[in-house]
Amino acid sequence: MSDLAALVVQQGLNGVYLGCLYVMVALGLTLIYGVLNQINFAHADFVTVGAFTAFFAVTRLATKVLGLPEAAGYLLSLVLALGVGALLGLAINAAVFAPLRERGDELRPLIATIGVSVLLENAQLALFGPIPYQFDSPFGQHTFHIGRIFFTGQSVLVIGVSALSIGALYAFMRFSFWGKALRAVAQDRETAGLMGINPGLLIGLTIVIASALAGMAGALLGPVLVLTPFAGATVVVKAFAIVIIGGFGNMQGTIIAGILVGIIEAFTVQYLGSGLIDLVVFVLLLVMLVLRPTGIIAERKEENV
Amino acid sequence: MLSANNISKSFGGVRAVRNVSLSVPEKSVCALIGPNGAGKSTMLNLLSGVYQPDAGTLTFGGTSMTGLPAYARVRLGIARTFQKIRLFKQLSLLENVLAGFHIHQDTPFWKYLVVGDTGRFREEARELLAFVGLGARAADRAGALPYGQQRMLEIARALATRPKLFMLDEPAAGLNPAEVDFLLQRLVDIAKRGTTLLVVEHNMDLVMNVAQRVFVLDHGEPLFEGTPREVQANPRVIEAYLGGEFAA
Amino acid sequence: MRRAAFFGIAIALVAAAPWLLHTPYWRGILVICAMNVLLALSLNLVMGYTGQLNLGQSAFFGIGAYVSTILVKTYHWNFWLASLAAVAFAGVVGLALAAFAVRLRGHYLAIASLGFAVITYQVLVNWEKVTEGVRGIYGILPPVGSTVGLFYLIAGIGVLVYWLMDNLVRSPVGDTLRAIREDEVSAASLGVRSYVWKAFAFSIGAGVAGLAGVFYPGFVGTLVPDAFNIVESFTMLAMVIVGGMGTMIGPVVGAVVLTFLPELLRGFGELRLMVYGIALTLVVLFMPGGIVQLVKRK
Repeated sequence: MSDLAALVVQQGLNGVYLGCLYVMVALGLTLIYGVLNQINFAHADFVTVGAFTAFFAVTRLATKVLGLPEAAGYLLSLVLALGVGALLGLAINAAVFAPLRERGDELRPLIATIGVSVLLENAQLALFGPIPYQFDSPFGQHTFHIGRIFFTGQSVLVIGVSALSIGALYAFMRFSFWGKALRAVAQDRETAGLMGINPGLLIGLTIVIASALAGMAGALLGPVLVLTPFAGATVVVKAFAIVIIGGFGNMQGTIIAGILVGIIEAFTVQYLGSGLIDLVVFVLLLVMLVLRPTGIIAERKEENV
Repeated sequence: MLSANNISKSFGGVRAVRNVSLSVPEKSVCALIGPNGAGKSTMLNLLSGVYQPDAGTLTFGGTSMTGLPAYARVRLGIARTFQKIRLFKQLSLLENVLAGFHIHQDTPFWKYLVVGDTGRFREEARELLAFVGLGARAADRAGALPYGQQRMLEIARALATRPKLFMLDEPAAGLNPAEVDFLLQRLVDIAKRGTTLLVVEHNMDLVMNVAQRVFVLDHGEPLFEGTPREVQANPRVIEAYLGGEFAA
Repeated sequence: MRRAAFFGIAIALVAAAPWLLHTPYWRGILVICAMNVLLALSLNLVMGYTGQLNLGQSAFFGIGAYVSTILVKTYHWNFWLASLAAVAFAGVVGLALAAFAVRLRGHYLAIASLGFAVITYQVLVNWEKVTEGVRGIYGILPPVGSTVGLFYLIAGIGVLVYWLMDNLVRSPVGDTLRAIREDEVSAASLGVRSYVWKAFAFSIGAGVAGLAGVFYPGFVGTLVPDAFNIVESFTMLAMVIVGGMGTMIGPVVGAVVLTFLPELLRGFGELRLMVYGIALTLVVLFMPGGIVQLVKRK
């Protein structure tokens, strides 16, 4: 394999790795929008909470309290983060989305979630302080290679877990009763309600799933992030960019967009440096918003007067 | 005054309006009728500029109007009301009507910064409110009005633009008979003052009593055109409304 | 007459404030409060009156600060001229943002404006040749020597801006903006060119935020990008909403309350910063009209 080809494939792989992480974050956002037509601004903070959960699980709970080997500790932290995310989702649904559901106001729930986001960030600031926390995934230590392409255990884990989650979600939506009911609610809430499906329950379920995904994404991202209470803020606009580029509420689009952004980031880091990646992604976001606000896989809607 | 030629409009493959032509003479009162789904509201939206036609031309007072956006048509002298009432719910009645004078505001900008409200069209706004019977409730919030009165407020607000052509989309919908009567009287008064009227309506009483010329649409295509009498007697019109059971 | 009384009281309060709170610490808080009032007012025109959720104001705050400081420090401009230039520049950038923004609805606008704020922050951090990035610019002198003087300057400008905006909002311009907020389609049926007015509101909002920005570096003495990240935008949002969106006095009340409340809660340590989040969430859920709504009921 030539040098250039190896480099390109390596970066491509890194890109997919990063992309999977972003997809895990963005998928929850797009799910919520698809079913609720709402944006949860606190979503990225759920990611941060998930990352902190993983930190404490790996460094304190698993090894010192439970005496587990580090690898098992990390896997445990994934599960814990999933649970913590789910709980947060439950809370925000009960506190914000459910009470405001009937009013039909587009922006009030959004602003409320901004409030929750600020609250979560400052709560974490009070608890954990502003200095970045650092932890390594035990899987990160192992590297192996196929030819000239290198993997770490972590990247394999991330890609594996992401693929599994996306697959599970897809199967759920496609084949299970609840999944189909969810799609029905996303398409037409009233009719779904008339057919005996409880929209409130389903919406709550969606938010819980989305938030659990966010939490677990945080655990997966933990070793890579600069882990401060404001880590969510660095991820949130990228996540929005992905959701917009992929199309709000469009799962396939989000997945494609997420991987795309990951790959772009992997390549631009090499040649432009990390400070400019954000710039590139956000400029892309603004361009998308101007040209095709409904996303790559577009749908047209004329306003009904 | 208003002339539409071979107007067509589709929405995602569904033909809402096809090859519709109509001509509204100056100072006349015309009606646009047709069974549900005939494309009447769509046609009104095309005439007022909310939608742009896929094909066909529009002229107003001799000048071409095709492609002109909605806000620009107001300056030409076209005003309209909506089938689903679109008031500024959080604002007061007076504020709603005042907003209607937008195109007539000619105070230099700096005066707004330094003086604020000049109270310029306040009198006229109150007169319009009185005209539609809402003079006493000028300070109330628009969203608090009962439906029939909201409809009249919308009319007052549209009149504030001082239109030459006033188009109304199903103004009688949801009104009780007394309110319909009141509406009828107002429309007659407006017509008397020289404003041309085009009314999209389902309520046949209203149409028969006030319109001079009636256009009938069915399934997005023109069906018939004539005086109210002629329309009432036309077998194709009857068939369109009743589904062919009672055709002569 | 009521308005004259109102402004009379306001001016009296502003004049008296540094003597009621006379320690250097509290006087510093007063300066911050005055800046916050300007910031809240800047957001109010776009959000409260035109109905657009704009999360990008932190960018204009930063632009005002950096452009004026760079002009003074690197090119030796006079402070006042530099400030004028900075405000004008912020207004122009606001107009450019509006060129995107006015086509977008609700959620999209919020995210686009947020994206703009992040981009601006990244530019401030990374364009080190011009802005010194995270190293910061040091030794910045305020235009007026004393803290009290600075407070009077900013608060005075604040009162002036309030007066101008209040006039504007009571005039037919205000009617137009609120019409756009309430229902753009029927506003169009009355001849309102909504995108022009939205762009106008955006531009003014940007300029006023920039105006607040020119005073910030002098007060703090150093200039680092961190003061202008997106959290600032959320803080401004909280001030406008908690005070009462859609009124003129609301944002002022919100700015004052949210500046002083964390100070009064100093005993609670870091938890006091949660005040912003808690206040915003609670108000949006239970009291959408803000503090002003509460007072009106009585």
